[in-house]
Amino acid sequence: MGFWAQVGAILWKDIVVELRTKERLSSMFFFALLVIVIFNFVFEPGSEAMREIAPGILWVTFTFAGLLGLTRSFTMERENGCLSGLLLCPADRGAIFVGKALGNAVFMVVVEAVALPFFGVFMNVAVLPALGRLLILMALGTVGFSAVGTLFAAMSANTKMREVMLPLLLFPILVPILLAAVKGTEAVLAGEGLGGVSGWVKIAVAFCALFTAASILLFDYVVEE
Amino acid sequence: MSTILGILALAGMLVAPYFALIYASVEKEQKLAQKIFYFHVPSAWVSFLGFFIVFVASVLYLWKKERIYDLWASAAAEVGVLFCTLVLLTGPIWAKPIWNAWWVWDARLTTTLVLWLIYVAYLMLRSYGGDAAQNAKFRAVLGIVGFLDVPLIYESVNIWRTLHPPQLIRKGGLQADMFEALMVCLTAFTALFLALLFQRVSLARAEEELATIRADLQERETSPTP
Repeated sequence: MGFWAQVGAILWKDIVVELRTKERLSSMFFFALLVIVIFNFVFEPGSEAMREIAPGILWVTFTFAGLLGLTRSFTMERENGCLSGLLLCPADRGAIFVGKALGNAVFMVVVEAVALPFFGVFMNVAVLPALGRLLILMALGTVGFSAVGTLFAAMSANTKMREVMLPLLLFPILVPILLAAVKGTEAVLAGEGLGGVSGWVKIAVAFCALFTAASILLFDYVVEE
Repeated sequence: MSTILGILALAGMLVAPYFALIYASVEKEQKLAQKIFYFHVPSAWVSFLGFFIVFVASVLYLWKKERIYDLWASAAAEVGVLFCTLVLLTGPIWAKPIWNAWWVWDARLTTTLVLWLIYVAYLMLRSYGGDAAQNAKFRAVLGIVGFLDVPLIYESVNIWRTLHPPQLIRKGGLQADMFEALMVCLTAFTALFLALLFQRVSLARAEEELATIRADLQERETSPTP
């Protein structure tokens, strides 16, 4: 079995589990919806201020929903000793990591795709004219988030305060990619092209490349017994 | 080693205030508020030195798997966080009269704050960790990822906004006596940092030794005497 076949098998396993239980996607989506609704209570809906902070709200929504998915990703493997089983497979550790990270990214993309129309409607933001550019930013944000997130989720699943530990570790590290995503989204929603935010796109790409590589290398140490 | 460093640190910290307050002339525009610079900058320098040591020791720990590198990384993180806290405290004291605000979201301030958050998370990970050997590996991973993130954090916050006074030292804009005072303070703080670091490592080693002796004793008590 080649590297990508192993990655595919692990990704497929996660998708099948999710298709049978539908726990993760439904909880992630419902939570995303709740965050959008609550932000509308906190700030005056339809106001100028609301339009200005809309990109921030979008990414807070994605980050929180993604966090929920990440926590589940490895607690699921811990239950019934699935992680040990996975590690006993004659699979490359890097392939296990990439498979799990891709799974997390796929779930996040699904939730983002469903949450984005709700965001547009509830926040009164015209999402469609900037959709193409927005999708590029969302792809970068999701890849960066999933790469570091999967590594830290594997770690925090083995600490005493699992659910609490993950955001504490993850959020400070995510600062560059979150800033890039929010500022990029802000410009794109205001009608600017990606060329106008090339600085942010560069930071996002650098974050994704650096932490995907680092996470693949470091994952081996995180899961070894 | 740690005694020598302790004496050096003590001597350094005794002369540092003289150089900062009396030897260096009073800055024309900022007056006395500028004096905090002599403690602020050295604190920043040693806290970054601390985080760099965390990174190097973390890489060595994952590579060589020797306990001692983890002790070094943890100790450096602790002392680094201590000095980083000092930076975040002395900064606002200066900023209030000069910028008329305790805090502004400037590139260097924000980077320092995010760094502080990362390494506080590092210390929390240590306290909430489960299995000791596994937790040491997790810490090392965080120590590496956190340090790799620094240039990205700085670059991103830099595009976001910049207000901090430019590094006068590099531009050669610092008066000679001020520069000398800064160097004295830098040396004193570095000595203090190293003294604390060595002290913390030897304390950690003593703790480990104590733990093994305790475990050994317990084993002897429970096993029947021949």
